[in-house]
Amino acid sequence: MAVQTSTGLSESRLTVVQRIQQLNWGLVLLIAVTACVGLTMLYSISEGTTETWVSRQLVRFGVGFLLMLIVAVVDIRFWLRAAFPLYGISLALLVAVEVVGTVGMGARRWIDLGPFQLQPSEIMKIALVLALARYFHGLAHDEIAWLRRLVAPTAMAIVPVALVLRQPDLGTALLLLIGAGAMFFLSGVRLRVLGAVAAAALAAIPVVWHYLRDYQRERILTFFDPERDPLGAGYHILQSKIALGSGGVFGKGLLQGTQSHLHFLPEMRTDFIFTMLAEEFGLVGALGLLTLYIFILTYAIAIALRSRSQFGRLLAMGIAATFFVYFCANIAMVTGLIPVVGAPLPLVSYGGTAMVTTLVGFGLVMSVHIHRDASLPRRAGAEEP
Amino acid sequence: MSDPHERLFTGGLPARLANSAHLEGARKKAVETGRNRLVIVAAVFACAFVVLAGRLVHLSSMGDAGSAGPVAEGGGDISLARAEIVDRNGVLLASDLTTASLYANPLQVLDAAEASDKISRVLPELDRGELFSKLSAPNRFVWIKRHLTPRQQHAVNALGLPGFAFLEEQKRVYPQGNLVAHIVGYTGVDNRGLAGIEKRLDERLGAAAGDDGARPPLRLSVDVRVQHVLHHQLALAVEKYRAIGATGVVLDADDGQILASVSLPDFDPHRVDRASADSRFNRASLGVYEMGSTFKIFTVAMALELGTADLADRIDARKPLRVARFMIRDDHAQERWLSVSEVFTYSSNIGAARMALEVGAERQREFLERIGLLGRASLEIAEIGRPIAPDPWRKISTMTVAFGHGIAVTPIQMASAVASLVNGGTRVTPTFIADRRGVRATGERVVSDKTSQAIRLLMRLNVVEGTGKKADAPGYFVGGKTGTAEKVGAGGYRRKALRSSFIGVFPASKPRYVVLAMLDEPQGTKETFGFATAGWTAAPVVGRVIERAAPLLGIEIGGEEEEEPSQRVDPGRKGRQLASF
Repeated sequence: MAVQTSTGLSESRLTVVQRIQQLNWGLVLLIAVTACVGLTMLYSISEGTTETWVSRQLVRFGVGFLLMLIVAVVDIRFWLRAAFPLYGISLALLVAVEVVGTVGMGARRWIDLGPFQLQPSEIMKIALVLALARYFHGLAHDEIAWLRRLVAPTAMAIVPVALVLRQPDLGTALLLLIGAGAMFFLSGVRLRVLGAVAAAALAAIPVVWHYLRDYQRERILTFFDPERDPLGAGYHILQSKIALGSGGVFGKGLLQGTQSHLHFLPEMRTDFIFTMLAEEFGLVGALGLLTLYIFILTYAIAIALRSRSQFGRLLAMGIAATFFVYFCANIAMVTGLIPVVGAPLPLVSYGGTAMVTTLVGFGLVMSVHIHRDASLPRRAGAEEP
Repeated sequence: MSDPHERLFTGGLPARLANSAHLEGARKKAVETGRNRLVIVAAVFACAFVVLAGRLVHLSSMGDAGSAGPVAEGGGDISLARAEIVDRNGVLLASDLTTASLYANPLQVLDAAEASDKISRVLPELDRGELFSKLSAPNRFVWIKRHLTPRQQHAVNALGLPGFAFLEEQKRVYPQGNLVAHIVGYTGVDNRGLAGIEKRLDERLGAAAGDDGARPPLRLSVDVRVQHVLHHQLALAVEKYRAIGATGVVLDADDGQILASVSLPDFDPHRVDRASADSRFNRASLGVYEMGSTFKIFTVAMALELGTADLADRIDARKPLRVARFMIRDDHAQERWLSVSEVFTYSSNIGAARMALEVGAERQREFLERIGLLGRASLEIAEIGRPIAPDPWRKISTMTVAFGHGIAVTPIQMASAVASLVNGGTRVTPTFIADRRGVRATGERVVSDKTSQAIRLLMRLNVVEGTGKKADAPGYFVGGKTGTAEKVGAGGYRRKALRSSFIGVFPASKPRYVVLAMLDEPQGTKETFGFATAGWTAAPVVGRVIERAAPLLGIEIGGEEEEEPSQRVDPGRKGRQLASF
C-alpha cells in the first residue's frame, strides 16, 4: 500500500532532485545568518582583519554547510540504520581521546589529526541523540513502560557522560546528560521513573562534589557569590556583566567594545563571544541573536511535530533540545545566571568540531523534514508495507 | 490512516480482534504522550527564552544607571597611593609618582572641533577624530589622557580651554626597571597590582579608600646587588650559549630569604603592554621543570637518612636497568660497582634508581613532601607554579624521580629544598620578605645533622673532582650538583634540546647560600667543545655568581680546606653491596 503524502508524492521513493526541492530553505537561511553573526564578531575580535579567525571559521562553516545539505538529502532510512554504528564510532573516539588525546588548558579533549584537531565530545552530542532516537523508535508503544527496556538507553547515555567527565569537562558532560534526559522525557518514559531518577541524581550531588576538581568547585562556589573572589575566579563573570551592561541598548558599535578589545574578557572567541556581541551591538543585538535562535528552534519543533515517525520526531526534537541547551547554557553563563561551564554558543563561537556537528545536526533535522511522511521499520530488517 | 506497527505484534486473527481495540488505545495514548511532551519541552524553551531576555534587559539597564561616571561615585583620587617597596638594604624598587591626568566634561566644552584641534596639537599622540567623538558625546566625564608629564600639563593649561581639568593620580615607577620586574611585578592604570608582589600583597601595599595612605615601605629579602650579579651572569650565558631563556636563584640557606631571583627573558614593568607572554613568564617561581640529576641530591640524602644506604656502600651499575619498556642508562657509564659517592659524582642514573628502590615509593614520596617539593610553595608573589608529580606513583616513577625525571618543580622550590638539606637539616620556607621573624625557629627537622654533613661533603667532592669543576670559585669552597634534562617535545624527550642546571652551595663546610642557575636550550660552543650539558654551561655561571656575590654578602675567602673531601668520604671500611635486582 502506497502512503499518499500531503505533497502528493510517494514518500518511499523521492528522487534527489525532489529532495532538494523539499529542503527547508527558510531554515537554511536562518542558519547562514546566525553563522554570519559569529563571523562578524570574530572579525571584530581580530581587530578588523579576516586573516586570523574569520577565514578559518569561514572554511569550517563552508564545509559544515555542505555537509548539512548532503546529510539532509540522504534518505532518513540510512540514518536510522547508521544510528548505532555512528554512536559506536563516537564512543571509540571518546575512548581514543583518553589514550592519544592532546592536553589543552589542563584537560584532554582533542585528538590531533595533523591539519585539524577533533573534539569527540562534540560529535557525541549528535551521535547520542541519533542512537537514543533509534532505540526508542524501536520500542513498541507499551514497552516504554518496562523498566528493563530502559537499561540499554541509560547505559548509552551514561558511558559517554562518564568519559567526558574524565577529560575532565564538567560542562559538556552535564549538557550531554541534560540532552539525554530530554530524549527520555520526549520518548514517553513514565514520569514517576523520571522523578525517581531525578531524586537519585540529587542525592548523588554530595558524592559528585567529592570528585570535582578544585577549579570546578571554585566556579560553583563563586557562582553563588561572585564577589567572594572578585579578582580571581569571579573576575570573568563580573567583567562579562560589566561588558553586557556597558553595551546599553544599541551598543558601542563594531570594533568599539572596550571590555573585549582591552582583553578584560576571557575566551572571547569561544565562550564569551555573546558578551562581546552584547557590548558592541547592545541589547538590540543580543535580543536579535536570541530571536534568530527562537526562529531556528521553532522550525525544528514544527518539523518534529509534523514527522510521522517516532524516529524523526525524536531526532528533530533531540537535536533541537541539544542546540537549545547549548546556547541557553552559554547565555545563562555569561549573564551570570549559572556557573561558568564552558559551553560554546552554537553556530557563533569559534571552533571547528562544534560548528560542523551543529550543522550536521541541522542536516538531520532537515532530513526528517524531507522524509516527514516516511514510515520507518521499527525493528531492523523488518521492512514495512 | 492505517497503522502498520500493530501487525507485527499481534498473532492470529482472534487475538487480533480481541486486542485491536486495546492496542489502538495504547497507540493513541503513546502518540498523545509524545505530542504532549514535545509541547511541554517547547514550553520550557519558551520560558527559558523569557528568562534570558529578561536577564539581558536587566543587565543592560544596570549599565545605563552606572554610566553616570566614575567620578560621581569615587570622589577625588582615582588611583590610590601605594606603599613603597625597597630591597633588603633600603634601595628603592617601586614607588608612587603623583601625576596629572587630563579629563573633560563634554557638556562644558564650547566647540568640540576647536578643542580637539588644539588638544591634538599639544598631545600629538592622540587621534583628532577619536578626540572629537569623545568630546561630542553626551557625557559628563571622559578621560583625555592619563599621566601627563609636567610639560604636557603646562601646555594644556596654556590653551585655556573650558571643560578640561586635571585629576591627581598615582603612577607606579620602578627605578630598577627590568632587574626586579618578575619579583616586584607591576600595577595597572588604576594602580592596583597586576603581577608579582604588587598583586599578591595588593592589600598590604595599596591604601584603602579613605585611608591617608601613609604606609611603611615593604622591605624585601632581595639584595639588588646580588640580583644584578645573577642577572648579568645569566644574561651573558644566554648570549654565549644562545639559550632561549634562563633562570637563577640565590637563597639564604638558613632562613629561606631569597636574595636574588632572575628569569630571562624579562620585561620593562613600565611597558608591560609591549612585553611578550614569554618575557612576562616567571621561570623561577611559576615554571615547573624536570630538574634532572640535581634531584640525586635528594635521593642520596633520603637513602642516607633512612639508613638504606651508607656512604661506604657499593651499588651495582654494571649494566643498564630495564623496567617494563623503559631502559635506564648512565651518561658517564662506568659499568662497574660504584660507591655512593661515585653514584653522586659520576651522576649514575642506574645507581640513583637502585638507591630509590631500596627506599621504596611511599617513603620517597613522603621525603619529597617533607622537603616541600610536592606542594605549591607559599611565596609572596602571584605567580607560583604547582609541581607535577607522578600519579600513580609506580615503581618506574620511583626510579625516574630518583634522577629527576617524571617530576617537575619550580627552581625556587628546588633551591629551598637543597637549603633544607645542607643547612644542618631544618626545613626552609622560601620568602621574598625581609622582616619575617621566627622563621628559623619553626623549621622542622627533615634530615639529621649527619646526613646534612654527608650531603655537603658529596656536593663539595663533586665540584672538586666531579662534573661540577667549572663551578668552583677559589676560596669559597663551592659544592654543587649538575643536572641536564632533555626537554619534553611532541612524542618524547628531545635529545638536542636540553635544560641545563647547576645547584651550588657555599661555603660547603657550613653553607650560607644556595645558588641555582638553569639555562633553557643552551647550544654548545667551541670553548665547550660543543657540549651544552650543565657541567659546561650552567656550572660556570654559578661559579662566577659566587665569585662576585660572596664579597658583597660578607663571606671571606677561606684558607686551605682542612681535609681533602675525597678522603673523608671513603673511610676505608668495606660497605655492603647494594643491588636490588
